[in-house]
Amino acid sequence: MTTTDVDQTAVGELPGRRRLAVGAVGVVFWAWLLARWASHNTLLDRLFTALGAPNLVQSELGVRQREPWLPAEPFQAASDGVADVAASLGPASVLLEWLAWLFDLAAFATTIGPQLAAGAFVTVYLTVLSMLLGLLLAVPLSVARVYGGPVLSRISLAYTELIRGTPLLAQLFFLYFGLPLAGFIDSFGFVGSGGVPRAAVFVAIVGFTINSSAYQSEYIRAALQSVDPGQLTAARSIGLSKLQGIRYVVLPQGLRFAIPGWTNEFVYLIKYSSLAAFITVPELFRRARNIGSDTFQFTDVYVIVALFYLALVLTTALAMGKLEQAVAIPGLGRGADRD
Amino acid sequence: MTLLRVEHVDKSYGDEEVLHDVSFEMQRQDVEVIVGPSGSGKSTLLRCVNRLTEIDDGAIYLDGEEIHALDENELRRRVGMVFQDFNLFAHRTARGNVTLGLRQVLGMPREEAEATADDYLERVGLADQAESYPAELSGGQQQRVGIARALAMEPELILFDEPTSALDPELIGEVLSVMRDLADEGTTMLCVTHEMGFARSAASRITFLDDGRIVERGPPETLFEDPEHERTRAFLGELAGIQ
Ligand SMILES: Nc1ncnc2c1ncn2[C@@H]1O[C@H](COP(=O)(O)OP(=O)(O)OP(=O)(O)O)[C@@H](O)[C@H]1O
Ligand SMILES: [Mg+2]
Repeated sequence: MTTTDVDQTAVGELPGRRRLAVGAVGVVFWAWLLARWASHNTLLDRLFTALGAPNLVQSELGVRQREPWLPAEPFQAASDGVADVAASLGPASVLLEWLAWLFDLAAFATTIGPQLAAGAFVTVYLTVLSMLLGLLLAVPLSVARVYGGPVLSRISLAYTELIRGTPLLAQLFFLYFGLPLAGFIDSFGFVGSGGVPRAAVFVAIVGFTINSSAYQSEYIRAALQSVDPGQLTAARSIGLSKLQGIRYVVLPQGLRFAIPGWTNEFVYLIKYSSLAAFITVPELFRRARNIGSDTFQFTDVYVIVALFYLALVLTTALAMGKLEQAVAIPGLGRGADRD
Repeated sequence: MTLLRVEHVDKSYGDEEVLHDVSFEMQRQDVEVIVGPSGSGKSTLLRCVNRLTEIDDGAIYLDGEEIHALDENELRRRVGMVFQDFNLFAHRTARGNVTLGLRQVLGMPREEAEATADDYLERVGLADQAESYPAELSGGQQQRVGIARALAMEPELILFDEPTSALDPELIGEVLSVMRDLADEGTTMLCVTHEMGFARSAASRITFLDDGRIVERGPPETLFEDPEHERTRAFLGELAGIQ
């Protein structure tokens, strides 16, 4: 488990003032993102309606939902001003030109922010759903691998090797173009309208779930194998069946050990979810690519979208670190190694 | 009344014969102590009795029933086990270690299980440590939780596999005193231990196992004072000398 650990405490271990700064940026980013989702999102809107709170924010903000909340003009003006000064200074003005570009980037970011926020929403639910569904598959897969006897463990091994040995993009293409899966999903009338995502999104979730289940099961397998075998022996010695022993003794410990690896997989999936762009899912990367081909400002849009991914990844690492602390037990796992 | 009858048990791992034609009988309330050099098959013998290991040949009867005719989980509910390195459930408190079997094996409701667990923890002198996790307990305390966990299932027989040999010398006494109390209360115990003081005072019989065979078996006085075999005298003398 050690070779692939993400250092989850990277943000947490920053010195006080910088931590505060990173935290403040994070809070502002998330406040903005959540507000955007709440103000214009047909899926969430449907959910709110179902929960008896229709048009929670939408009705208040009226027509400005789709539009940027910050004007781009001041940033653009600042950028132009700095650029003018830079031009008058001649070749010695590299720093100023750079500053002008930053203002330009900020102006651009305010313009494309709403679209990227919508894309980030898809990226987030794609990733979170696939991780959770993947976990549901990964637990039995890893248990079968470690405790399943010759037949089940080989089936589990074959599954994980097949999935891990083939490219994720090929898997997505196979599901989307090779199998009639999209057509089947579309045959449900509600798909693709009234806030329900299009079939491609469901195909992507299926694909990422299958893919991440294989990787997650490898992390969990390693974690299960690091649980002292005496634990299961003790469980069996009081009359628990093997399955009960696994459920009540081995898994609660193994899943805790698996959190660092699980975090790793989570972070990977956030980034790899961009491959869904290739089967037309309107997630973060696809929106960025479309903006790029509309505006030809490829560099700028990719820089901005990279910051989005960075924010998502850091948030995940931080949250998983908190989760690990929250479920920590004295003497078990990472803390125990330091004793 | 005969509780445990072991008849002509053989057990091999590959080519290595670990138990050879082992036979003995225990009455209810007996305390049987097994001694023998390292690798002589003591742990294997205990594990055969609760079927953590399967025998190759022979038969084992618990209260008249052949143990292979019983459901193995039911058998293990009736035959408790205490381990050399405690094997407490590392993610559960002392109380949680005792309640798991009560809840999942005996199907006790939560509150009753917790009250029962606290009773057993009190019996081993750990009423105040119910909320502690294993890592927060000393070795002696952990082993006493291990005993409480086994006791709570109300087994007919408890197997002890060197329960004090992983402990610092100053912690051995507290575990032995719990075991002595159990013996006095009439608990049927099959103990692998090299604590000769305990064997002398608590054992109804001592079995000397060497190389997978029972060399000699008898009441403590006989084995200590007047053993039949020179090997027994030498081994017990050496053990007594160490202590
Ligand atoms: N699962 C196993 N697979 C193979 N060999 C085993 C296994 N368990 C025990 N053995 C072998 O069987 C022999 C007896 O082992 P056992 O653990 O019963 O001895 P013991 O008397 O308990 O020794 P100790 O005093 O060291 O605990 C040893 O030679 C050991 O190597
Ligand atoms: Mg042993």
